[in-house]
Amino acid sequence: MKKVQITDILILLLSAALCLGVKLVFHACDSKEDSSWMACHWAQQAVFASGISLTIFSVLRFFVQKQTKMGLSFATAVLSIITAFVPGVFISLCMMNTMRCHAIMRPAVILLCILLAIVSVTDILLHKNGNEAKT
Amino acid sequence: MKNKLHLAIRNLTGRPIRTTALFVLTAILSLTVCGGTLLVTSLRNGLHSLESRLGADIMVVPYEATTKASLENIILQGNTGYFYMDNSLMEKIANTEGIGQISAQFFLASTSSGCCSVSVQIIGFDPETDFTITPWIQRSYSKELQTLDIVVGNDLNAFVGDTLTFYGTKCHVAAKLEKTGTYYDTSVFTSKETIQMLIQSSIEQKLNYFDVDPEQVVSCVMINVADGYSVEEVLNDINIHVKKVKAVRTKEMIADISSSLSSVSDMIGVLIAAVWILSIMILFLVFSMNINERKREFAVLRVIGASRKKISALVMQEALYTGLIGGVLGTGIALLGVAAFHQLIEEQLELPFLLPDMRFILVIAVSALAISILSGILAASVSAGRISSMDTALILRGDN
Repeated sequence: MKKVQITDILILLLSAALCLGVKLVFHACDSKEDSSWMACHWAQQAVFASGISLTIFSVLRFFVQKQTKMGLSFATAVLSIITAFVPGVFISLCMMNTMRCHAIMRPAVILLCILLAIVSVTDILLHKNGNEAKT
Repeated sequence: MKNKLHLAIRNLTGRPIRTTALFVLTAILSLTVCGGTLLVTSLRNGLHSLESRLGADIMVVPYEATTKASLENIILQGNTGYFYMDNSLMEKIANTEGIGQISAQFFLASTSSGCCSVSVQIIGFDPETDFTITPWIQRSYSKELQTLDIVVGNDLNAFVGDTLTFYGTKCHVAAKLEKTGTYYDTSVFTSKETIQMLIQSSIEQKLNYFDVDPEQVVSCVMINVADGYSVEEVLNDINIHVKKVKAVRTKEMIADISSSLSSVSDMIGVLIAAVWILSIMILFLVFSMNINERKREFAVLRVIGASRKKISALVMQEALYTGLIGGVLGTGIALLGVAAFHQLIEEQLELPFLLPDMRFILVIAVSALAISILSGILAASVSAGRISSMDTALILRGDN
Protein backbone atom coordinates (compact mmCIF):
# COMPACT_ATOMS: atom_id res chain seq x y z
CA MET A 1 0.00 0.00 0.00
CA LYS A 2 1.46 3.38 -1.06
CA LYS A 3 1.17 6.61 0.92
CA VAL A 4 -2.49 7.65 1.00
CA GLN A 5 -3.32 11.29 0.31
CA ILE A 6 -6.52 13.25 0.95
CA THR A 7 -7.14 13.50 -2.83
CA ASP A 8 -7.07 9.67 -3.13
CA ILE A 9 -9.79 9.37 -0.50
CA LEU A 10 -11.86 12.20 -2.03
CA ILE A 11 -11.67 10.67 -5.50
CA LEU A 12 -12.74 7.27 -4.15
CA LEU A 13 -15.65 8.79 -2.20
CA LEU A 14 -16.87 10.90 -5.14
CA SER A 15 -16.60 7.98 -7.62
CA ALA A 16 -18.46 5.67 -5.26
CA ALA A 17 -21.10 8.39 -4.66
CA LEU A 18 -21.61 8.73 -8.42
CA CYS A 19 -21.76 4.98 -8.97
CA LEU A 20 -24.14 4.15 -6.11
CA GLY A 21 -26.01 7.47 -6.06
CA VAL A 22 -27.20 7.23 -9.64
CA LYS A 23 -28.77 3.85 -8.83
CA LEU A 24 -30.07 4.50 -5.32
CA VAL A 25 -30.41 8.22 -4.55
CA PHE A 26 -30.63 10.46 -7.62
CA HIS A 27 -31.86 7.81 -10.03
CA ALA A 28 -33.80 8.56 -13.23
CA CYS A 29 -37.60 8.51 -13.65
CA ASP A 30 -39.51 5.33 -12.85
CA SER A 31 -40.74 3.03 -15.59
CA LYS A 32 -43.92 3.77 -17.52
CA GLU A 33 -47.22 2.10 -16.62
CA ASP A 34 -46.59 -0.57 -19.27
CA SER A 35 -43.22 -1.32 -17.55
CA SER A 36 -41.19 0.04 -20.47
CA TRP A 37 -38.34 2.41 -19.71
CA MET A 38 -38.00 6.03 -20.79
CA ALA A 39 -34.85 7.42 -22.43
CA CYS A 40 -33.50 8.73 -19.13
CA HIS A 41 -33.17 5.19 -17.78
CA TRP A 42 -30.46 4.47 -20.36
CA ALA A 43 -28.66 7.69 -19.41
CA GLN A 44 -28.71 6.43 -15.80
CA GLN A 45 -27.26 3.06 -16.90
CA ALA A 46 -24.49 4.81 -18.87
CA VAL A 47 -23.61 6.99 -15.85
CA PHE A 48 -23.60 3.87 -13.66
CA ALA A 49 -21.16 2.15 -16.07
CA SER A 50 -18.89 5.22 -16.03
CA GLY A 51 -19.20 5.29 -12.24
CA ILE A 52 -17.97 1.69 -12.01
CA SER A 53 -14.94 2.54 -14.18
CA LEU A 54 -14.19 5.64 -12.08
CA THR A 55 -14.47 3.63 -8.85
CA ILE A 56 -12.07 0.98 -10.20
CA PHE A 57 -9.59 3.74 -11.18
CA SER A 58 -9.89 5.28 -7.70
CA VAL A 59 -9.25 1.92 -5.95
CA LEU A 60 -6.23 1.25 -8.20
CA ARG A 61 -4.70 4.55 -7.02
CA PHE A 62 -3.94 3.00 -3.63
CA PHE A 63 -1.63 0.36 -5.17
CA VAL A 64 0.31 2.13 -7.93
CA GLN A 65 3.40 4.33 -8.30
CA LYS A 66 3.18 8.14 -8.38
CA GLN A 67 3.54 8.43 -12.19
CA THR A 68 0.79 5.86 -12.79
CA LYS A 69 -1.35 7.70 -10.23
CA MET A 70 -1.00 10.90 -12.28
CA GLY A 71 -2.15 8.95 -15.34
CA LEU A 72 -5.15 7.63 -13.42
CA SER A 73 -5.98 11.17 -12.24
CA PHE A 74 -5.89 12.36 -15.85
CA ALA A 75 -8.15 9.49 -16.96
CA THR A 76 -10.53 10.22 -14.06
CA ALA A 77 -10.72 13.93 -14.96
CA VAL A 78 -11.45 13.18 -18.64
CA LEU A 79 -13.96 10.42 -17.93
CA SER A 80 -15.81 12.49 -15.33
CA ILE A 81 -16.13 15.42 -17.75
CA ILE A 82 -17.48 13.05 -20.44
CA THR A 83 -19.87 11.50 -17.89
CA ALA A 84 -21.25 14.96 -17.03
CA PHE A 85 -22.45 15.22 -20.64
CA VAL A 86 -24.16 11.81 -20.71
CA PRO A 87 -27.57 12.86 -19.30
CA GLY A 88 -29.18 15.36 -21.64
CA VAL A 89 -26.43 15.66 -24.27
CA PHE A 90 -25.25 12.17 -25.31
CA ILE A 91 -28.48 10.51 -24.18
CA SER A 92 -31.64 12.61 -24.17
CA LEU A 93 -33.83 12.83 -21.09
CA CYS A 94 -37.60 13.07 -20.62
CA MET A 95 -40.03 15.56 -22.08
CA MET A 96 -40.38 17.95 -19.15
CA ASN A 97 -37.65 19.70 -17.19
CA THR A 98 -39.75 19.23 -14.07
CA MET A 99 -39.34 15.45 -14.25
CA ARG A 100 -37.02 13.61 -11.88
CA CYS A 101 -34.31 12.93 -14.46
CA HIS A 102 -34.00 16.70 -15.19
CA ALA A 103 -34.65 18.00 -11.67
CA ILE A 104 -32.53 15.57 -9.65
CA MET A 105 -30.44 13.11 -11.67
CA ARG A 106 -28.83 15.47 -14.16
CA PRO A 107 -27.75 18.24 -11.71
CA ALA A 108 -26.47 15.68 -9.20
CA VAL A 109 -24.42 13.85 -11.87
CA ILE A 110 -23.03 17.15 -13.22
CA LEU A 111 -22.08 18.39 -9.73
CA LEU A 112 -20.36 15.14 -8.75
CA CYS A 113 -18.52 14.97 -12.08
CA ILE A 114 -17.34 18.60 -11.78
CA LEU A 115 -16.09 17.94 -8.21
CA LEU A 116 -14.37 14.75 -9.38
CA ALA A 117 -12.67 16.59 -12.25
CA ILE A 118 -11.55 19.42 -9.92
CA VAL A 119 -10.09 17.01 -7.34
CA SER A 120 -8.36 14.96 -10.08
CA VAL A 121 -6.80 18.07 -11.65
CA THR A 122 -5.73 19.28 -8.17
CA ASP A 123 -4.13 15.87 -7.60
CA ILE A 124 -2.20 16.14 -10.92
CA LEU A 125 -1.00 19.65 -10.00
CA LEU A 126 0.06 18.57 -6.49
CA HIS A 127 2.06 15.65 -7.90
CA LYS A 128 3.57 17.85 -10.62
CA ASN A 129 4.64 20.50 -8.08
CA GLY A 130 6.04 17.76 -5.82
CA ASN A 131 8.11 16.36 -8.70
CA GLU A 132 9.37 19.84 -9.68
CA ALA A 133 10.34 20.63 -6.09
CA LYS A 134 12.41 17.41 -5.97
CA THR A 135 14.28 18.23 -9.22
CA MET B 1 3.67 44.49 3.33
CA LYS B 2 4.48 41.21 1.61
CA ASN B 3 5.96 39.86 4.85
CA LYS B 4 2.85 40.91 6.77
CA LEU B 5 0.62 39.09 4.24
CA HIS B 6 2.88 36.09 4.44
CA LEU B 7 2.73 36.11 8.25
CA ALA B 8 -1.09 36.32 8.25
CA ILE B 9 -1.30 33.34 5.88
CA ARG B 10 1.22 31.38 7.92
CA ASN B 11 -0.73 32.12 11.10
CA LEU B 12 -3.85 30.69 9.46
CA THR B 13 -2.17 27.61 7.99
CA GLY B 14 -0.30 27.02 11.24
CA ARG B 15 -3.57 26.34 13.07
CA PRO B 16 -5.50 24.23 10.54
CA ILE B 17 -8.35 23.13 12.82
CA ARG B 18 -9.16 26.64 14.07
CA THR B 19 -8.82 28.07 10.55
CA THR B 20 -11.06 25.35 9.07
CA ALA B 21 -13.68 26.03 11.76
CA LEU B 22 -13.60 29.76 10.90
CA PHE B 23 -13.88 28.99 7.17
CA VAL B 24 -16.86 26.72 7.82
CA LEU B 25 -18.55 29.39 9.95
CA THR B 26 -18.11 32.18 7.41
CA ALA B 27 -19.07 29.75 4.63
CA ILE B 28 -22.35 28.95 6.44
CA LEU B 29 -23.01 32.68 6.84
CA SER B 30 -22.49 33.50 3.15
CA LEU B 31 -24.32 30.32 2.07
CA THR B 32 -27.36 31.33 4.12
CA VAL B 33 -27.29 34.95 2.94
CA CYS B 34 -26.70 34.11 -0.74
CA GLY B 35 -28.94 31.01 -0.90
CA GLY B 36 -31.72 32.58 1.18
CA THR B 37 -31.76 35.83 -0.81
CA LEU B 38 -31.73 33.89 -4.10
CA LEU B 39 -34.67 31.76 -2.92
CA VAL B 40 -36.75 34.74 -1.78
CA THR B 41 -35.96 36.72 -4.96
CA SER B 42 -36.82 33.74 -7.17
CA LEU B 43 -40.13 33.20 -5.37
CA ARG B 44 -41.01 36.91 -5.71
CA ASN B 45 -40.07 36.80 -9.41
CA GLY B 46 -42.26 33.73 -9.82
CA LEU B 47 -45.24 35.46 -8.22
CA HIS B 48 -44.81 38.62 -10.36
CA SER B 49 -44.49 36.41 -13.41
CA LEU B 50 -47.69 34.54 -12.50
CA GLU B 51 -49.52 37.85 -11.93
CA SER B 52 -48.50 39.16 -15.33
CA ARG B 53 -49.19 35.84 -17.09
CA LEU B 54 -52.74 35.69 -15.77
CA GLY B 55 -53.06 39.07 -17.44
CA ALA B 56 -56.82 39.57 -16.99
CA ASP B 57 -59.01 41.12 -14.32
CA ILE B 58 -61.60 38.35 -14.29
CA MET B 59 -61.64 34.70 -15.28
CA VAL B 60 -64.98 33.00 -15.92
CA VAL B 61 -65.12 29.21 -15.70
CA PRO B 62 -67.87 26.59 -15.62
CA TYR B 63 -69.28 26.37 -12.08
CA GLU B 64 -68.31 22.70 -11.62
CA ALA B 65 -64.66 23.58 -12.27
CA THR B 66 -64.56 25.62 -9.06
CA THR B 67 -66.32 22.99 -6.96
CA LYS B 68 -63.94 20.19 -8.02
CA ALA B 69 -60.93 22.40 -7.16
CA SER B 70 -59.60 21.57 -10.61
CA LEU B 71 -59.43 25.25 -11.51
CA GLU B 72 -56.61 26.14 -9.13
CA ASN B 73 -54.84 22.88 -9.86
CA ILE B 74 -54.74 23.72 -13.54
CA ILE B 75 -54.21 27.46 -13.36
CA LEU B 76 -51.84 27.68 -10.41
CA GLN B 77 -50.31 24.25 -9.80
CA GLY B 78 -49.79 23.32 -13.44
CA ASN B 79 -51.71 20.03 -13.23
CA THR B 80 -53.23 18.83 -16.45
CA GLY B 81 -56.99 18.81 -16.87
CA TYR B 82 -59.91 20.24 -18.73
CA PHE B 83 -63.44 21.57 -18.29
CA TYR B 84 -65.84 22.96 -20.83
CA MET B 85 -68.92 25.16 -21.01
CA ASP B 86 -71.25 25.99 -23.81
CA ASN B 87 -70.24 28.68 -26.28
CA SER B 88 -73.58 30.44 -25.78
CA LEU B 89 -72.57 31.28 -22.21
CA MET B 90 -69.67 33.31 -23.56
CA GLU B 91 -72.08 35.35 -25.66
CA LYS B 92 -74.15 36.07 -22.54
CA ILE B 93 -71.02 37.09 -20.64
CA ALA B 94 -69.94 39.34 -23.52
CA ASN B 95 -73.24 41.22 -23.26
CA THR B 96 -72.53 42.18 -19.65
CA GLU B 97 -71.99 45.90 -19.15
CA GLY B 98 -68.44 47.04 -18.42
CA ILE B 99 -66.55 44.43 -20.46
CA GLY B 100 -63.43 45.98 -22.05
CA GLN B 101 -61.69 42.96 -23.56
CA ILE B 102 -62.96 39.40 -23.69
CA SER B 103 -61.40 36.24 -25.06
CA ALA B 104 -62.00 32.50 -24.69
CA GLN B 105 -59.45 29.82 -23.85
CA PHE B 106 -59.61 26.08 -24.38
CA PHE B 107 -57.96 23.41 -22.21
CA LEU B 108 -57.01 19.88 -23.16
CA ALA B 109 -54.75 17.40 -21.38
CA SER B 110 -52.68 15.27 -23.72
CA THR B 111 -52.19 11.56 -23.13
CA SER B 112 -48.63 10.43 -22.39
CA SER B 113 -46.36 11.86 -25.04
CA GLY B 114 -44.21 9.50 -27.08
CA CYS B 115 -41.18 9.56 -24.79
CA CYS B 116 -42.66 10.10 -21.36
CA SER B 117 -45.19 8.89 -18.85
CA VAL B 118 -46.62 12.35 -18.22
CA SER B 119 -49.32 14.29 -19.97
CA VAL B 120 -49.01 17.88 -21.12
CA GLN B 121 -51.54 20.69 -20.67
CA ILE B 122 -52.58 22.11 -24.02
CA ILE B 123 -54.08 25.62 -23.96
CA GLY B 124 -55.88 27.00 -26.97
CA PHE B 125 -56.63 30.67 -27.54
CA ASP B 126 -58.32 32.80 -30.14
CA PRO B 127 -55.54 34.90 -31.78
CA GLU B 128 -58.08 37.52 -32.95
CA THR B 129 -59.31 38.43 -29.47
CA ASP B 130 -56.63 37.11 -27.10
CA PHE B 131 -54.90 39.62 -24.84
CA THR B 132 -53.30 37.35 -22.21
CA ILE B 133 -51.20 34.78 -24.08
CA THR B 134 -50.43 36.51 -27.39
CA PRO B 135 -48.38 39.45 -26.01
CA TRP B 136 -46.23 36.97 -24.20
CA ILE B 137 -45.86 34.58 -27.20
CA GLN B 138 -44.87 37.58 -29.35
CA ARG B 139 -41.70 37.94 -27.29
CA SER B 140 -40.48 34.68 -28.84
CA TYR B 141 -42.54 34.42 -32.03
CA SER B 142 -43.89 37.39 -33.95
CA LYS B 143 -45.57 35.52 -36.84
CA GLU B 144 -49.14 34.29 -36.88
CA LEU B 145 -49.65 30.68 -35.74
CA GLN B 146 -50.70 28.44 -38.63
CA THR B 147 -52.95 25.42 -38.33
CA LEU B 148 -51.20 22.64 -36.33
CA ASP B 149 -48.51 25.07 -35.17
CA ILE B 150 -47.80 24.94 -31.45
CA VAL B 151 -45.74 27.02 -29.04
CA VAL B 152 -44.10 25.05 -26.22
CA GLY B 153 -43.30 26.16 -22.67
CA ASN B 154 -39.68 26.52 -21.62
CA ASP B 155 -39.58 23.37 -19.48
CA LEU B 156 -40.66 21.10 -22.31
CA ASN B 157 -37.83 19.25 -23.95
CA ALA B 158 -38.98 20.17 -27.47
CA PHE B 159 -37.43 22.73 -29.80
CA VAL B 160 -38.40 24.86 -32.80
CA GLY B 161 -38.85 22.62 -35.85
CA ASP B 162 -39.65 19.47 -33.81
CA THR B 163 -42.86 17.55 -34.31
CA LEU B 164 -45.01 16.50 -31.36
CA THR B 165 -47.90 14.10 -31.72
CA PHE B 166 -51.06 14.61 -29.68
CA TYR B 167 -53.92 12.12 -30.10
CA GLY B 168 -52.39 10.94 -33.38
CA THR B 169 -52.24 14.50 -34.78
CA LYS B 170 -48.77 15.74 -35.66
CA CYS B 171 -48.09 19.32 -34.55
CA HIS B 172 -45.19 21.51 -35.54
CA VAL B 173 -43.25 23.41 -32.85
CA ALA B 174 -43.18 27.02 -34.11
CA ALA B 175 -41.62 28.61 -31.01
CA LYS B 176 -40.37 27.97 -27.52
CA LEU B 177 -41.29 30.46 -24.82
CA GLU B 178 -38.93 32.09 -22.39
CA LYS B 179 -38.94 30.85 -18.79
CA THR B 180 -41.80 32.15 -16.64
CA GLY B 181 -41.46 30.10 -13.45
CA THR B 182 -45.18 29.24 -13.64
CA TYR B 183 -47.33 26.41 -14.98
CA TYR B 184 -46.97 27.99 -18.46
CA ASP B 185 -43.47 26.47 -18.61
CA THR B 186 -44.90 22.97 -18.92
CA SER B 187 -47.83 23.83 -21.20
CA VAL B 188 -48.34 23.83 -24.94
CA PHE B 189 -50.16 26.73 -26.63
CA THR B 190 -51.98 26.68 -29.90
CA SER B 191 -54.71 28.43 -31.83
CA LYS B 192 -58.42 27.84 -31.34
CA GLU B 193 -58.61 26.04 -34.69
CA THR B 194 -55.82 23.58 -33.82
CA ILE B 195 -57.10 22.77 -30.33
CA GLN B 196 -60.56 22.12 -31.73
CA MET B 197 -58.95 19.60 -34.10
CA LEU B 198 -57.08 18.00 -31.18
CA ILE B 199 -60.25 17.80 -29.04
CA GLN B 200 -62.03 16.16 -31.99
CA SER B 201 -59.13 13.67 -32.44
CA SER B 202 -59.21 12.78 -28.73
CA ILE B 203 -62.94 12.11 -28.95
CA GLU B 204 -62.59 10.04 -32.12
CA GLN B 205 -59.80 7.97 -30.62
CA LYS B 206 -61.88 7.50 -27.44
CA LEU B 207 -58.95 8.73 -25.36
CA ASN B 208 -60.99 11.33 -23.50
CA TYR B 209 -64.27 10.51 -21.88
CA PHE B 210 -66.38 13.53 -22.69
CA ASP B 211 -68.94 14.15 -25.30
CA VAL B 212 -68.74 17.70 -26.61
CA ASP B 213 -68.76 19.43 -29.94
CA PRO B 214 -65.33 21.14 -30.03
CA GLU B 215 -66.73 24.05 -32.02
CA GLN B 216 -69.49 24.70 -29.49
CA VAL B 217 -67.46 24.80 -26.24
CA VAL B 218 -64.93 26.97 -24.44
CA SER B 219 -63.01 26.23 -21.21
CA CYS B 220 -62.78 29.68 -19.70
CA VAL B 221 -63.30 33.32 -20.59
CA MET B 222 -60.73 35.97 -19.76
CA ILE B 223 -62.02 39.50 -19.20
CA ASN B 224 -60.50 42.92 -18.80
CA VAL B 225 -62.88 45.49 -17.37
CA ALA B 226 -63.58 48.65 -19.41
CA ASP B 227 -62.47 52.04 -18.12
CA GLY B 228 -64.98 53.60 -15.76
CA TYR B 229 -66.17 50.26 -14.35
CA SER B 230 -64.93 48.46 -11.26
CA VAL B 231 -63.84 44.81 -11.37
CA GLU B 232 -66.13 44.02 -8.43
CA GLU B 233 -69.13 45.49 -10.26
CA VAL B 234 -68.60 43.44 -13.45
CA LEU B 235 -67.75 40.28 -11.48
CA ASN B 236 -70.97 40.47 -9.43
CA ASP B 237 -72.99 41.24 -12.53
CA ILE B 238 -71.71 38.07 -14.26
CA ASN B 239 -72.19 35.87 -11.18
CA ILE B 240 -75.77 37.11 -10.73
CA HIS B 241 -76.97 37.15 -14.34
CA VAL B 242 -75.15 34.30 -16.05
CA LYS B 243 -76.05 30.83 -14.77
CA LYS B 244 -73.74 27.77 -14.57
CA VAL B 245 -70.60 29.86 -14.51
CA LYS B 246 -68.39 31.35 -11.83
CA ALA B 247 -66.50 34.60 -12.33
CA VAL B 248 -63.29 34.74 -10.29
CA ARG B 249 -61.06 37.73 -9.66
CA THR B 250 -57.59 36.63 -10.78
CA LYS B 251 -55.89 38.51 -7.95
CA GLU B 252 -57.90 36.47 -5.43
CA MET B 253 -56.74 33.27 -7.10
CA ILE B 254 -53.14 34.02 -6.28
CA ALA B 255 -53.87 35.31 -2.77
CA ASP B 256 -53.00 31.89 -1.25
CA ILE B 257 -49.74 31.80 -3.17
CA SER B 258 -48.96 35.35 -2.00
CA SER B 259 -49.52 34.39 1.64
CA SER B 260 -47.41 31.18 1.30
CA LEU B 261 -44.69 33.24 -0.34
CA SER B 262 -44.83 35.79 2.45
CA SER B 263 -44.49 33.00 5.10
CA VAL B 264 -41.53 31.45 3.27
CA SER B 265 -39.89 34.89 2.84
CA ASP B 266 -40.37 35.69 6.56
CA MET B 267 -38.95 32.33 7.57
CA ILE B 268 -35.88 32.76 5.36
CA GLY B 269 -35.45 36.36 6.60
CA VAL B 270 -35.48 35.19 10.25
CA LEU B 271 -33.05 32.39 9.40
CA ILE B 272 -30.62 34.81 7.69
CA ALA B 273 -30.79 37.21 10.65
CA ALA B 274 -30.32 34.40 13.20
CA VAL B 275 -27.35 32.90 11.33
CA TRP B 276 -25.79 36.35 10.92
CA ILE B 277 -26.12 37.26 14.63
CA LEU B 278 -24.90 33.81 15.70
CA SER B 279 -21.94 33.95 13.30
CA ILE B 280 -20.90 37.43 14.49
CA MET B 281 -21.10 36.25 18.11
CA ILE B 282 -19.10 33.06 17.46
CA LEU B 283 -16.53 34.91 15.32
CA PHE B 284 -16.20 37.53 18.06
CA LEU B 285 -15.66 34.82 20.71
CA VAL B 286 -13.19 32.88 18.55
CA PHE B 287 -11.13 35.99 17.76
CA SER B 288 -11.15 37.08 21.45
CA MET B 289 -10.00 33.62 22.60
CA ASN B 290 -7.44 33.55 19.86
CA ILE B 291 -6.00 36.92 20.88
CA ASN B 292 -5.81 35.85 24.56
CA GLU B 293 -4.05 32.67 23.49
CA ARG B 294 -1.55 34.55 21.32
CA LYS B 295 -0.80 37.48 23.65
CA ARG B 296 2.83 36.39 24.13
CA GLU B 297 3.29 35.93 20.37
CA PHE B 298 2.13 39.51 19.75
CA ALA B 299 4.27 40.80 22.63
CA VAL B 300 7.34 39.17 21.03
CA LEU B 301 6.45 40.79 17.72
CA ARG B 302 6.27 44.16 19.53
CA VAL B 303 9.69 43.57 21.11
CA ILE B 304 11.30 42.82 17.72
CA GLY B 305 9.96 46.08 16.34
CA ALA B 306 6.42 45.59 15.05
CA SER B 307 4.29 48.67 15.72
CA ARG B 308 0.87 48.44 17.45
CA LYS B 309 -0.73 49.40 14.15
CA LYS B 310 1.02 46.56 12.34
CA ILE B 311 -0.13 44.00 14.90
CA SER B 312 -3.73 45.24 14.63
CA ALA B 313 -3.44 45.06 10.84
CA LEU B 314 -2.18 41.49 11.13
CA VAL B 315 -5.27 40.44 13.13
CA MET B 316 -7.54 42.25 10.68
CA GLN B 317 -5.82 40.54 7.74
CA GLU B 318 -6.38 37.12 9.24
CA ALA B 319 -10.07 38.01 9.63
CA LEU B 320 -10.16 39.28 6.04
CA TYR B 321 -8.73 36.04 4.63
CA THR B 322 -11.06 33.98 6.77
CA GLY B 323 -14.09 35.96 5.56
CA LEU B 324 -12.91 35.92 1.94
CA ILE B 325 -12.16 32.20 1.64
CA GLY B 326 -15.19 31.12 3.71
CA GLY B 327 -17.36 33.60 1.79
CA VAL B 328 -16.20 32.33 -1.61
CA LEU B 329 -16.83 28.73 -0.52
CA GLY B 330 -20.31 29.44 0.89
CA THR B 331 -21.39 31.67 -1.99
CA GLY B 332 -20.10 29.11 -4.52
CA ILE B 333 -22.00 26.26 -2.86
CA ALA B 334 -25.19 28.38 -2.68
CA LEU B 335 -24.97 29.40 -6.35
CA LEU B 336 -24.21 25.87 -7.53
CA GLY B 337 -26.93 24.37 -5.33
CA VAL B 338 -29.69 26.79 -6.34
CA ALA B 339 -28.71 26.84 -10.03
CA ALA B 340 -28.45 23.05 -10.28
CA PHE B 341 -31.43 22.06 -8.17
CA HIS B 342 -33.88 24.94 -8.83
CA GLN B 343 -36.37 22.56 -10.46
CA LEU B 344 -36.32 20.36 -7.38
CA ILE B 345 -36.72 23.38 -5.07
CA GLU B 346 -39.67 24.56 -7.18
CA GLU B 347 -41.29 21.11 -6.96
CA GLN B 348 -40.80 20.91 -3.19
CA LEU B 349 -42.07 24.44 -2.43
CA GLU B 350 -45.00 24.11 -4.85
CA LEU B 351 -44.75 27.84 -5.54
CA PRO B 352 -43.93 29.76 -8.74
CA PHE B 353 -40.14 30.03 -8.91
CA LEU B 354 -38.16 32.12 -11.40
CA LEU B 355 -34.42 32.67 -10.97
CA PRO B 356 -33.35 36.31 -11.42
CA ASP B 357 -31.11 37.28 -14.34
CA MET B 358 -27.32 36.79 -14.22
CA ARG B 359 -26.59 40.41 -13.31
CA PHE B 360 -28.85 40.26 -10.26
CA ILE B 361 -27.44 36.86 -9.22
CA LEU B 362 -23.95 38.41 -9.40
CA VAL B 363 -25.09 41.33 -7.20
CA ILE B 364 -26.49 38.86 -4.61
CA ALA B 365 -23.26 36.79 -4.69
CA VAL B 366 -21.01 39.85 -4.28
CA SER B 367 -23.22 41.19 -1.44
CA ALA B 368 -23.11 37.81 0.38
CA LEU B 369 -19.33 37.77 0.01
CA ALA B 370 -19.08 41.35 1.28
CA ILE B 371 -21.30 40.51 4.31
CA SER B 372 -19.11 37.51 5.10
CA ILE B 373 -15.88 39.57 4.89
CA LEU B 374 -17.33 42.53 6.83
CA SER B 375 -18.66 40.23 9.57
CA GLY B 376 -15.19 38.72 9.99
CA ILE B 377 -13.55 42.15 10.10
CA LEU B 378 -16.21 43.51 12.48
CA ALA B 379 -15.76 40.58 14.88
CA ALA B 380 -11.95 40.91 14.76
CA SER B 381 -11.88 44.70 15.11
CA VAL B 382 -12.61 44.59 18.88
CA SER B 383 -9.78 42.07 19.40
CA ALA B 384 -7.47 44.12 17.18
CA GLY B 385 -8.24 47.20 19.33
CA ARG B 386 -7.49 45.25 22.50
CA ILE B 387 -4.20 43.88 21.19
CA SER B 388 -2.98 47.32 20.18
CA SER B 389 -3.56 48.68 23.71
CA MET B 390 -1.93 45.84 25.66
CA ASP B 391 1.19 46.36 27.77
CA THR B 392 4.00 44.28 26.25
CA ALA B 393 6.18 44.30 29.35
CA LEU B 394 3.37 42.99 31.60
CA ILE B 395 2.58 40.17 29.20
CA LEU B 396 6.17 39.06 28.83
CA ARG B 397 6.61 39.14 32.64
CA GLY B 398 3.52 36.92 32.81
CA ASP B 399 1.53 39.42 34.92
CA ASN B 400 -1.30 39.67 32.38
